[in-house]
Amino acid sequence: MTQPVIEESGEKESGPGGKYVYCIIRLDRSREFGEIGIGGGARVFTVHHKDLAAVVSDTPIVIYDPTRENVLAHEFVNETVMREFTLIPMSFGTVFRSEKDVSALLSSTYQAFTEVLDKMQDKIEFGLKILWDRDKVVASLEEQNDEIRRLKDEITRNAASSTYFARMQLGRLVEAAMEEASNRYVADVHEALKECSVASRSNKVIGDRMILNAAFLVDRKDEKSFDDKVKETSRKYEDLLTFKYTGPWPPYNFVNIKLKLEKAT
Amino acid sequence: MGLLTNILLAPFLGPINGTKWTLDKVERAVREELTDDTAVKNDFMELQMKLELGEIDDDEYLRQEAIIMQRLRDVREWREKFGMASAGGPVRVAGVDEDESADERDES
Repeated sequence: MTQPVIEESGEKESGPGGKYVYCIIRLDRSREFGEIGIGGGARVFTVHHKDLAAVVSDTPIVIYDPTRENVLAHEFVNETVMREFTLIPMSFGTVFRSEKDVSALLSSTYQAFTEVLDKMQDKIEFGLKILWDRDKVVASLEEQNDEIRRLKDEITRNAASSTYFARMQLGRLVEAAMEEASNRYVADVHEALKECSVASRSNKVIGDRMILNAAFLVDRKDEKSFDDKVKETSRKYEDLLTFKYTGPWPPYNFVNIKLKLEKAT
Repeated sequence: MGLLTNILLAPFLGPINGTKWTLDKVERAVREELTDDTAVKNDFMELQMKLELGEIDDDEYLRQEAIIMQRLRDVREWREKFGMASAGGPVRVAGVDEDESADERDES
């Protein structure tokens, strides 16, 4: 591990203990965001260094489980802040021991935060997951692919005598065609959304029905056209694919600051 | 044939040839199993997806979420026992790494 840069803040620190940090924004005067914090409606306020502010709430020094309730509280604060500010989201569960440690975070990473805030100015994120219905896709492939149809007919016609080999060949053909179709759908969606987004990132798919799990960074001014494009594309594929479209989010997937955080014991 | 013989005779040969090796390997495997949260996180994401798709209702979600949270806590506890880093708890900033690969457009 790297050497600590900030020394142990010691026991002199007064004040109400830990601070849960939601995000970083550019703001040089203090601001309240209401009693919407994690752990049952804690007061959400700001801690400052120069023109940067961390949006925080008081917390006991605990480890927060990523339950839906806790994660939604974290996200709700960020959504509220996002209505007025460009923000850098902190990862879920980031707790500092004192206000002083939060200021130290802002001052020691001032430069990096400032650059990222400039880069993310007026950008928002949308999530897009695409799931397919395997049976429907297989059916549509059978319609389009002569070889699959021919082989299938043959197997059905000679049910008794059809070989294990023919069945295996059919299975392989269908698998390959499915993979090809999945790539084609995904490429088509990316192509459609490219023009109205700044960047995209593909995450690992979840479960066996998902073929795309992506995040798109979009300029606020392009929100409407991005939205229209997603809807248009989802209509195009409505018989085969299910689109799960969420947002706007803070740019969770596009902020590349990796804070080296260490345990404050 | 040789492999089969070995397996068949394992109760006799096993303790002589393999015990030490097996224990080391088992211990390492157990340790990896106890301290790896990849499987729990995957299960958690699948659970959230099921809720989102309406495959399970809120009650079922909460019931399963509780089990997954316990598994996450168990992993955290084991990691601490083995002196490994674990997420959560109070932190202090020790530096910053900004990924400078500016172009984030992935072309997949």
